[in-house]
Amino acid sequence: MEENKKMCMALHSGSLDRLTAAGVVISGAAADDMDVDVFVLLQAARAFKKEIADDYDKLPMTENQEIKEEFVASLKKLNVPTWIEFFEMAKELTNVKIHVCSLAGKMWDGEKMEDFIDLVDDICGIGEYIESAQEADVHLFI
Amino acid sequence: MTTEELKALTVQKSVDARGTACPGPLLAAKKAIAEIGSGDIMEILSADEGTKKDIPKWANKKGHEYMGTVEEAGYFKIYMKKG
Repeated sequence: MEENKKMCMALHSGSLDRLTAAGVVISGAAADDMDVDVFVLLQAARAFKKEIADDYDKLPMTENQEIKEEFVASLKKLNVPTWIEFFEMAKELTNVKIHVCSLAGKMWDGEKMEDFIDLVDDICGIGEYIESAQEADVHLFI
Repeated sequence: MTTEELKALTVQKSVDARGTACPGPLLAAKKAIAEIGSGDIMEILSADEGTKKDIPKWANKKGHEYMGTVEEAGYFKIYMKKG
């Protein structure tokens, strides 16, 4: 059988809008049977913390904080899944692995797997990201 | 296929994804196709413009057969046969 295409995503942003965008992109890749490696870097690791992840009040916008309310209301009106739900759906469909960078985790007081939401598969170093990026057919930095 | 022929098809699976925006219908189709057998026909109901192009492309790429799209009032039905 033909090997699946690979996507490598460096998820640096911990902002609600970019997390949502990442979720849409990952689930689209999953629908296309791509294998996806997501590397959770710096600010994104904060968003993957258990006490932060599904609390929209704790997640900022990348820019224009004043449109956050409109952004959230719009997603709700259009029945758009939460960013976590997008990640969950993608994981159900195909081989999606979420890796948290160990330095990033430490920055937000998250050193162990149990500090993060269940979506996270492992805590890793930069070498794994570079290797995945080298092998990937598609590489994104969000 | 003509609209009449599409409408006359017996479908083995109907997916109503009208309540979701892109990529909802595509994800729903991807999930549902795993539940039917080769040669079975599936229809996807959607009101999302992006889906109109996405699902036919996806279907053909994945070895299924896109059969056609029927416009209804405020939504459309996409027909495909599992490969």
